[in-house]
Parts: sequence; structure tokens; C-alpha cells
Amino acid sequence: MPNRPLPRHLITQLVRDLARRGVDYADVRYEHVEHENLVAEQGRVASISRHDSAGVGVRVLLKGSWGFASTSLLDRASLAKAASQAIGLAKASNLLNRAPRPLAHVVPRRATHTSRYSIDPFDVPLAKKLDYLLWANTELLGPDAVKRATSHMDFHKRRKLLCSTDGADIEQLLIESGAGCEVVVQQGDEVQVRSFPNSHHGALAQAGYEYVKQLDLVGGAKTAQQEALALLRAKPPKAGDTTLILAPTQVVMQLHESCGHPTELDRALGQELSYAGGSFLTPDRLGTFQYGSPAVNIVADATIHGGVGSFGFDDEGVPAQRVDLVRQGRFVGYLSSRESAARIHQPASGGAMRAESWSVPPLIRMTNVNLEPGEASLSQLLSGVKHGYLLSTNKSWSIDDRRLNFQFTTEIAWEIEHGALGAVVKNPLYTGITPAFWGRCTGVGRPEDWQLWGIPNCAKGEPMQLMHVGHGASYARFDGVMVAPAK
Amino acid sequence: MIGAAQLLGALLKLTARPRLEAISACAQARTRRVFRFAYEGIHQDLIQESVSITVTVLHRRRIGIAGTDTLDLPSLRRCVQAAAGIAEHSPTQDQLPEWPRRGRVKMTADYQPATMRLSAAACVTSLKRLFQLCKGAGADLAGSFLTGDDELAVANSAGLSAYSALTVSGAKLVTMYGKLSGYASGVHRDVRRLDLDSLLTRSLGQSLHRTDPVTLPLGPYDVILEPEAVADLVGWLSFTAFGAKSVQERSSFLAGRADEPLMDPRVTIYDDGNDPEALRMPFDFEGVPKQRVVFIDRGRAKGPVYDSIYGARFGQASTGHAMPPGDTEGPIPLHLAIAPGQQTLAGMIKSCRRGLLIPRFHYVNGLLNPREALMTGLTREGVFLIERGKLTRPVTTMRFTQSLLSALRRVLGISRERRLIADPSQDLGCSLMPALHLAHFEFTGRQES
Repeated sequence: MPNRPLPRHLITQLVRDLARRGVDYADVRYEHVEHENLVAEQGRVASISRHDSAGVGVRVLLKGSWGFASTSLLDRASLAKAASQAIGLAKASNLLNRAPRPLAHVVPRRATHTSRYSIDPFDVPLAKKLDYLLWANTELLGPDAVKRATSHMDFHKRRKLLCSTDGADIEQLLIESGAGCEVVVQQGDEVQVRSFPNSHHGALAQAGYEYVKQLDLVGGAKTAQQEALALLRAKPPKAGDTTLILAPTQVVMQLHESCGHPTELDRALGQELSYAGGSFLTPDRLGTFQYGSPAVNIVADATIHGGVGSFGFDDEGVPAQRVDLVRQGRFVGYLSSRESAARIHQPASGGAMRAESWSVPPLIRMTNVNLEPGEASLSQLLSGVKHGYLLSTNKSWSIDDRRLNFQFTTEIAWEIEHGALGAVVKNPLYTGITPAFWGRCTGVGRPEDWQLWGIPNCAKGEPMQLMHVGHGASYARFDGVMVAPAK
Repeated sequence: MIGAAQLLGALLKLTARPRLEAISACAQARTRRVFRFAYEGIHQDLIQESVSITVTVLHRRRIGIAGTDTLDLPSLRRCVQAAAGIAEHSPTQDQLPEWPRRGRVKMTADYQPATMRLSAAACVTSLKRLFQLCKGAGADLAGSFLTGDDELAVANSAGLSAYSALTVSGAKLVTMYGKLSGYASGVHRDVRRLDLDSLLTRSLGQSLHRTDPVTLPLGPYDVILEPEAVADLVGWLSFTAFGAKSVQERSSFLAGRADEPLMDPRVTIYDDGNDPEALRMPFDFEGVPKQRVVFIDRGRAKGPVYDSIYGARFGQASTGHAMPPGDTEGPIPLHLAIAPGQQTLAGMIKSCRRGLLIPRFHYVNGLLNPREALMTGLTREGVFLIERGKLTRPVTTMRFTQSLLSALRRVLGISRERRLIADPSQDLGCSLMPALHLAHFEFTGRQES
């Protein structure tokens, strides 16, 4: 579908109108999102779909209350109606709200930002993409045990214009590309799954089609099939406390659940209690709480190239930043917004406000929450481990409402015996308590093994918003972790 | 509300006299007005009005799908062109969807205008009252309150036009008192019948206790699961067991076990999108009328649900469980129910010598081992220890890791009363669940700070 012209005139006029109507603050955000999804199954194209969505969201702050409304109709009357609805909601909320709602200061910017890409995936002929997809899919097939072979590609193009009564005027273009394969094998009552290069559509980057080309889907598909078949013959892990090395594909899920979510400041302030829950990282612990071992350094970095949590400016017009969350094991920072930063007397927002689409208001979301690399190679992490497991590729995830007690399973593990990797292990499960687990982190892998992945379905908010967030990590080793077979 | 005339009218303009072999168009429209609040007041309020149109084109055994989020005709025509362009480049398909031919469906009986007429000021006034009641009890309050409507329309070039509309209202209340918190949620298509006071009473009942919560040893406990907790578990089976796709790939526990006794004979699990007690949806996203499908019949394994594609693969007719075009998860039941039993919740508690009363679970995951329906998850607010038939002490958060298949073989009781469970701010569909009394439910972890 052709690019639509930005409705700049309509948006700026609406912002002027809102200012005249006496709001304390307002922002108007136009977004046009294109999504292409290609799926192959069992050697055939199963689905090709494209979705195109454009509209405007209006957010106002009036005497300490927010109001938000949206429309897909880009005409003056519809925009004026959305503005009136937003003001009406704020006025209604003022019947209950009494406290002022100050916002941390931000310098309003007039700027443009385009994410880095070489090949616009929407310019690549469909036939070329399908050829590659089918080739990879065919590599998953063959043995009778293969019950499902799926390959997918996803491409997103998001064009945004944000204008505010403060004077912000920010245009952004963000392009994402991703691909992957999954094979399900079965023998008797044993069913196993293996993904490449990551599960849950995790191979998603802020990049062009060049990212998909470099994934080596074809080679990876063959490996995934062989590992899945090996899992049918594998033994489960022995239950007990042991040493664990997590591959980057699992560290990212560990980061997401046990660091990313609890450092969202709106959660810590109780604003997600009706859905996702709270956080053990309460403001009184900021700067003093020992979250992990000194080897643990975690940042929220919206400036990194390739991360699906990167941008030029967040949806409040705050410039992208790199924010320390955990420094040498100590909890030192939050993902924050202008409002929440002011609530805890921080001088500025951490720039983490993002909305899934034009139809919903921004919330505090993870950007790219990354475990900074250490210095150890995998063999150095393995050395000295008498017995343990190397776990890779997330399969299931669960964590309590304060983000303390977690339990994960992965698709595959390998036994570690006397510092060397051994047999494939099926159905590995591990569990722990967040600060105790990170406190037992005894080694973090080197920069050469550091990988950046995407999670395209991080759920939060009411109505639920699914956000693309990024996570980078190398290998990481943890001692004394409870491991068990998932049975 | 957009209305049948405008929504179907737009679709019929696309599907009438197509130059292509066949077209199906599906529109989902939704309005939500949401207030979210915590401690000192409302921190978020919004009106979301969205419409999503998906066009599926069949042309020379090729399929193309495209979608857009506006009803304006030029955009819809561009959408059809995009779908036709995709079909042009697509490989030919062995199996094509078989869409329903000719027919008109219109269902608006579940649309309650009072729900949409409730003003924002009236919503906030209701919330203000809840805050005052909470403050009077010395507790803090958080939660959400929403009203809205859902419309679904499907039309195709074979002459089908189908439309349904319903309203929905819902509230979630979390009350906090000292170290304890309570939770209650409710949903009804008519906001006048959403009883906020009784929800608050239920939530406060869980949180207003002088005793601090006790931490219990891990291991098996008899549990009484209230309907929302049952829905948290059984809802996962929609994705891992009850759809034809999971049966085809053999990960479903139904696969290869037709008519085998898998659960206690008192357990019957089914899907019924036409149940007047549910948030009804008379047809699916292909426009096929929804059939009642039984998955577990008095403990024995029965069939999954189908859409037209998976129906063709299994040699079955569609049961009316297609998901929106382009969704690749296959057919999924959206209106699960467990048949009621004979007991009352109070009777179950009275009959329990030692166990746990669990109102809901948190963050359940059913992907551990779907063949055994192995799941993990955590308790949240309102868990109480039952000793000699009485609720004695609140209990701290615990993690379970349990095969639901095994748990449903150890049924001690099923309640007569069922509750409608839905989260209209998150998911499609709903469920109608009784309370369950189960023996030896395995707890494997607890929350520690």
C-alpha cells in the first residue's frame, strides 16, 4: 500500500485548538502502521496477510486528570470530536481526583528520526520472500516424527507524528524485520518443539530485510529439526540445586520478566494492580537494594541500533536514553514517564512512554532492557562446573505479581559434566526468587557472544497493549539454582 | 456503535459482484471507555473506538488477505486491491476455506443501550462512592471500570451477511489492608446489573483481616477453586488442547485418545457461543454459525473445534470456531464452560478438612507439557487456609505446578452455581465456570522477598 501523506496541518491545528480550550497540556499523535506477515507450514504457504492502520490519538491533561480519545477518521470534525471526548473524560475524572499531576520537564523538540535500515522489506518482491521462506520450511520436513513445520516472516513499518502544546513536533519512521522457524515432533506420547533462531517470534530487529537475509534460516532450520528429534530420545534433568548456564535466548526472557517489568515505575507506584500487578522494587529501595551480584549490570537502552525498543523520541516527546537499572548488582533506576518521574522527584523522565498504536495512550514500557556483557567465553563459564545444565530458548514463563517467584522451561538443555557440554536434555525447568537468583550470578559472557532479540508481544494495560521490546544478553552463569523436569 | 447498516453496508460494497473468484470481508468494531484507578484517584481514562476490516480474496486457488482500520471506501478498495495483489503472487492452495453460502444473520438482543448511555460523570460518581466506602473501612482501592460494545460483521460474495452486536461492562477491584489484599471482578452486558457494591464487599471480605498471612509448607493440598481460578486454568486448554490444530500436531491431550476416560465422570467441558448466559457470538470470523462442541463428556475425550480449513483436513464440517483471517493458530473455542455440579461453595468449604480456598490465579502458563496439560502459576489475593470446614487464616502467595489432566481426575465436588468470567479489556470471549473442589493439588514454590 502506498505511503500516506502526514496530516501535519490537521494535527498542528488541533494542538492549537486544544491550547485555546485551556488544557494544561495536550499531545496529538498520528500513526500509520503497516504489518506484513508471511507463514509457511508443511512446505506450503499457509498465510500471507497485510494490515494497514492509521489514526490519531489525543491526550489531554486538565487540572490534574488525564483524558484520551482517538479516531481513525482524519477530518476536522472527527478530530474535534476526539478532542472533546478526551477533555470530557478529564473533566469527569476531576470529580474524583484532587491532587495535582505535575510533569517532569522536557525541552520540546522539532525533530525527525528514521531507524537504520538498508533494504525496505516492503520493497522486496513477495515472490522473493516466499521463496526463501519455503526453502527454510522444507528443511524442517522429512522424518515421520515431524508433525508441524512452521516458518514465518514479519515486517513492520511505523510512521509517527507527535505534536504537543509544549511545542514538540517530532516525526519518526521505524522499520522492523523478523523471521523464524518452529518444528514440532512427536513419538508416542512424547511431543517436543524446537525453534530457530529464537522462540515466540523473537528474531525481530529494528532493521530492513537485510536482517532476515543474515539469519541463515535454511541452515538453522536443519539444526532445529535435528535437535527436536534428539529431544525425543533425550533424558530429563535430575531434580535438585545445580549450576545453570543460560544461553542468550533464555537470558532475555529472564531479563524481561524479572528485571524489565519490576523496574516499570507505574507498576511500582501501584498503577497496574488491577491487571499485571505490582513490583518488589518499590521507590524506597531505589539506590540501596541489592538486586544481584556485582557481575550484574542492566540498562534500558532506547538508543541501541537494531533493538525493537529503540526510537528517537518516546510518545511524550522525550529523547531516547540509556538508563541504568542495575549497576554492579544494585538497583539504581526505573523505566519512567514524565508523570511518574515527577512523582518520585526525579528531575527528568527516563523516556519510556510508548503506545501500541494511535488508538491507545502511551504507557511506561520496556525499551531494550539489556544485560551488559562481561568478559567470559562460554568455555570459561563452563570450566570448573562439575555438574549443571546449559539451557536455551524459552518455552514457558511464569512469575508472581510482584515479580519475585519465577519459573521457566526451555526447549532444550545440555548436561554439563566437568566443564564440558554433554548430552541433550529434555523438558528442563528452573525456578527461583529474583534477587536471590541474580545474586548467584557468577559470570556473564563476553561481548562477542552478546545477542539482541525482540519480544513482540509484551502485554500490559487495560485495554491490553502488545508492545515490541528488545533485550540483549550474552551467556550468564548462576550457581545453586533449583532445576527439575517439567512432567 | 457503528451499527449494522454502516458496517455491513461497507462490507457488502466490497463483496457484491466481485471481479475476483470470491471475497469474504470481516469487520470487528469495538468501543471501550476505561477508567483505571489506584490509591488516590483515577490515573488513566480513555475512549477507544476501533474498527478492523479484513478482506480475504480467493482467485484461481490462490488466497490473499489484507486488512485496514478504517471504513472509508477508498481505503477499503485499496485493501481489496492489496489482497488481490497478494493472491496474484501466492502459490496455489490444496485446501481452500469453504465459506457459508447465502443467508442473513442479525443478532442484537445482547445490546443494552443503557450500558452505552452511562455518562463518564456517572461512572466516576460510582467510583467515588467505592473510594469512600473503602476509606471508611480503612482500606485502599485500585482497579478498573469499563463499558463498551463489540460488533462483528461478515459478508461474502456467496451471499452471506451476518451481524451481531453486544454491550459489555466490567469492573476489577483490588482492596488493600495492611499486608492483605482482596480481589473481585464482575462482568455483565447491562451495566445496571453490574453490582459494584457486592464486588467491593467480596474484595474487602478477603482483605479485612487482623491476622497476618501465613506461609505454608509446600506439597499437595486439597483446593477449592472459585470460578475465576477455574477459568484461569481451563482457558489454557482452548489453545493447547481443544483446537483442531493442536490435535493435528499431536500436542493436544485429546489427540489419539477419543472416548478414553481422561477425567472424573462428573466433568463435562464444552464450548457454546450461543449460551444466553454468556457474552454470545452467534457466528465466527468466517460467518459460520457457532455449534455447541463437547470436549470432555462425563470424563471422556471428545472432539476439538474446527474452522473450514481444519474441518477439510479432518473431513469434518466447520463448527464455527474460525479466528480472524490471517490468524495462524487455527480454530479456537472462545466460550468455554464446565457443566454445573450439585454442590454449593459453602458446602464445599464445610466438607474440607484441610485445604486452600483460591479465588484466582496469576500468570498461569500451560505450555510446560501440553500433552499432560501440565501448568504452572501462582496464587494472588484472597487465599485462605481451610481447617475443619472453616476459613481460618489468609495465606501468602504460592506457586503450583500441576497437570490439569490429573487434577480433574481427583474431583471432590463441582458447584451448582456458575459465574460468567471475562476480561473485556483483554480478551475475546468469555467462560462460564463453576467452583471446583480438587484433591492433592501440588504446590511447588512460594513468594519470598
